[in-house]
Amino acid sequence: MDAWVRFSAQSQARERLCRAAQYACSLLGHALQRHGASPELQKQIRQLESHLSIGRKLLRLGNSADALESAKRAVHLSDVVLRFCITVSHLNRALYFACDNVLWAGKSGLAPGVDQEKWAQRSFRYYLFSLIMNLSRDAYEIRLLMEQESSVYSRRLKGSGGGVPGGIESGGPGGPGTSGGGLPQLALKLRLRVLLLARVLQGHPPLLLDVVRNTCDLFIPLDKLGLWRCGPGVVGLCGLISSILSLLTLVCPWLRLKP
Amino acid sequence: MDAFTRFTNQTQGRDRLFRATQYACMLLRYLLEPKAGREKVVMKLKELESSVSTGRKWFRLGNVVHAMQATEQSIRATDPVPRLCLTLANLNRVVYFICDTVLWAKSVGLTSRINRERWQLWGARHYYCFLLLSLLRDVYEIALQMARAADHRARRERSSQDALGWQVGDEVSEDWLQSSLLLLFQSLKRHPPLLLDTVKNFCDILIPLNQLGIYKSNPGVIGLGGLVSSVAGIITIAYPQMKLKTR
Repeated sequence: MDAWVRFSAQSQARERLCRAAQYACSLLGHALQRHGASPELQKQIRQLESHLSIGRKLLRLGNSADALESAKRAVHLSDVVLRFCITVSHLNRALYFACDNVLWAGKSGLAPGVDQEKWAQRSFRYYLFSLIMNLSRDAYEIRLLMEQESSVYSRRLKGSGGGVPGGIESGGPGGPGTSGGGLPQLALKLRLRVLLLARVLQGHPPLLLDVVRNTCDLFIPLDKLGLWRCGPGVVGLCGLISSILSLLTLVCPWLRLKP
Repeated sequence: MDAFTRFTNQTQGRDRLFRATQYACMLLRYLLEPKAGREKVVMKLKELESSVSTGRKWFRLGNVVHAMQATEQSIRATDPVPRLCLTLANLNRVVYFICDTVLWAKSVGLTSRINRERWQLWGARHYYCFLLLSLLRDVYEIALQMARAADHRARRERSSQDALGWQVGDEVSEDWLQSSLLLLFQSLKRHPPLLLDTVKNFCDILIPLNQLGIYKSNPGVIGLGGLVSSVAGIITIAYPQMKLKTR
């Protein structure tokens, strides 16, 4: 009980719970529609989903300031690429929340002249940019870790006094190609790269969680902006997975990716 | 801005801000309604008030657990009177939050078989009991502080009398009221958390008093009371040392 009190005292936690519930409703609604459930039940689920959506907008009313504060902090990072990616991501998030606040004002009747469609599209665009920046940051971190791992591996090989004939060069996408047998060589290289990637991700759960979360989140703005229509079922499932993962990072702070 | 972020990161902080907004709208509406040509503004205020009020229900979901934890804590208080008052108060708060959750379920359409008025009445009744018991505890603490201050002053007077070697007559009974009020003022000034808590509970109790029909007041008074108590709540969250602690 004490844990619940501490958890729900963070307003982010409550908002994430509502998000998980909203996407669960969306997924449930889609499943019920496919299986031909009663229209009464479908209407109830849709109503709950819309209530959750508006409630979440209110819960998010102060988040612009939050995102700006995070962007301010990210400007002081030492690594240039990380600094750029994280700062731009937070700035885009701040703009997304600002558009979201405008949408709330429109929905709650404060500013009835707000063009809901236009502002919704704008907000999803900023959200998409922020997710792309997050994924770029993840890719950069993965690449750094892969370089680290493969250099450690090759040092160990050299140290043990015997190299693998035609072994992989550390880093660099194109090592000096050996003559002949190009395709099997390429396939071997690719397989080793994939194994290295799996090893890196396995050894760094926060990074893995962040990658999966951002990838799942990516489907939502792609669908809403019409760039890649995946359907409400996929959107609901991806939203639910990413909400559960972000709840996990709130409950277990060591799973959160630190810059 | 950092302080604002830290403040709004707590759910309670955000909730108090919204509550202050809600009651400020109520107060403004009451002040602007009789004026001509302000219908649009009044309508906007009404819509803002209702959407903030509905949205705040999301903040209150799960507060049953918070209230149960507060009950557990108040059982461990050392002083018997606050222990009794606070435990009963928090139990009433638990029931109030249960009624509130049921009303939320009805408002989002999860269940339609709820008699809204009855549950609202039950909730208001238990909220009223919670505030009454909290005020009782505040009165007890004030009386305790006043007794301590009076005792301290009497000891000081006695020591100064002994030093001077003569006794003061019974002139105390004449300005008893004046000295009691002075004592009350001094005790409250020395203990801002107690003053804040008393003001908060006193302003809050106007709401259920109006809902239950015990003391009907106009929306202006309720709006002002709600606004003052929300501001007091914001102060206790922004400055945790201003929160009244249970010994």
